[in-house]
Amino acid sequence: MRMVNLRAPYNTRRLALAIAAVFLLGFFLLPSQLQGVFQQVGGPVGWVLSWPFRAVAAVHDGIGDLWTGYVALQGVEEENTQLRKELEYLQGQNSQLREAASATERLTALLEFKAQALPTMVAAQVIGRDVGNWYRTIILNKGESDGLQPDMGVITAVGVVGRIVKTTAATSVVLLVTDPNNAIAGLIQRTRDEGIVEGTTQGLAHLKYIPLLSIMRTGDRVVTSGLVGGFPRGLAIGTITRIDKEEGALFQSAELTPEVDANRVEEVLVIQSHYVPTEGERLGGPAVKPKP
Amino acid sequence: MNALLYLILIAGLVPIQAILLPYLSVWDVKPDLGLIAVCLVGLFGGELEGLLVGLALGWVMSLFSAGDLAYSMVTKGGAGFIAGFAGRQVAHITPVVLVMGLLVTSCVAGLIMAFSLKPHEEQDLWWALRAIVLPQACFDAVVGGALYWLVWSRLNVELWVSEYRV
Repeated sequence: MRMVNLRAPYNTRRLALAIAAVFLLGFFLLPSQLQGVFQQVGGPVGWVLSWPFRAVAAVHDGIGDLWTGYVALQGVEEENTQLRKELEYLQGQNSQLREAASATERLTALLEFKAQALPTMVAAQVIGRDVGNWYRTIILNKGESDGLQPDMGVITAVGVVGRIVKTTAATSVVLLVTDPNNAIAGLIQRTRDEGIVEGTTQGLAHLKYIPLLSIMRTGDRVVTSGLVGGFPRGLAIGTITRIDKEEGALFQSAELTPEVDANRVEEVLVIQSHYVPTEGERLGGPAVKPKP
Repeated sequence: MNALLYLILIAGLVPIQAILLPYLSVWDVKPDLGLIAVCLVGLFGGELEGLLVGLALGWVMSLFSAGDLAYSMVTKGGAGFIAGFAGRQVAHITPVVLVMGLLVTSCVAGLIMAFSLKPHEEQDLWWALRAIVLPQACFDAVVGGALYWLVWSRLNVELWVSEYRV
């Protein structure tokens, strides 16, 4: 049997040990400072690495387009018929909603509510997933040079995707709403009860801290409350599928199915700024000009 | 020349891990190509190269993950260093020994992460072991062993390593 003979020079071991000791000491003694330095230097490094990222992503997208455009066309006719039926239904619903919207506008004008400013958004493309197994994240092709910063909310037309946790010059890492380390302020649309939405290890979400007297039920939609967390009010987070009410507990909780399937999301919108009403405005005080 | 090769390795490996590896995931677990690469570099290149490539790869990978920078750098750097040390202590390495080594290294790295994670009611140690640490260690060992076998059977590794060391 052929075997590999591995012999190394002795002095390199000392150098390696010295480097290891310096790094270990650094991370133990000055953890935040050292991490800050590496994160700062990582900005340009991330920009350089975004090029191989884009190249691999382009190859990946090309193969994906080829697959979806030519190979995976079975059952398209059936799907088309189904979609036509759905379109007819949605057109009917749309006209009803237009009526409701115009009624709301009239009532809003009557009550002199202040219009909520539209948030500034940046479109970005998903170019990758987390490099490890411990977090559920996606990588975007835009970063600090495009004005993105940590804690900004990320959405699609369907609903909430997650929150930016790290940025380099040309990329951003978004922690998904289904990650257990993520927490977003949520609101049950029907009952107006507020809670905190956290991810679960099964890839779903959990709505916590709902008052015991809440009359929520399965099928209720949960939206962002807009008070904290980088999201304006009213963005869909998920639908309640199960309610957990433990005996003796101070709150009840619910399991949610997220609106956005994060495994299939390809393009997203990053909320750069949105209008948050001040305490005075919420209580009906004098208007304060929103921060840009 | 070696530095350039390692730079190319880092620049190529991170996008592959982030973009293509999710398609290879089983039960939402994918192998850590970074850890495997660092172990192989340490084994063939020695402690210093294993450590330096591990630190660099750990740093770069942490830029594209929500994970902690210190954990990533320390575990990858440590794995490279230990691989180099093991390569010097164990005179003859076979694919079986490499697979076992990768299994243990990946388990230790995963356990460090499981302990270092902020306590969360959903992510206890048993969950981490069952759902991530052990499957990933098996995956890493199999992929690393396959890579080593491929290189070992196709290329004259013995000659290459001897020449490199000289």
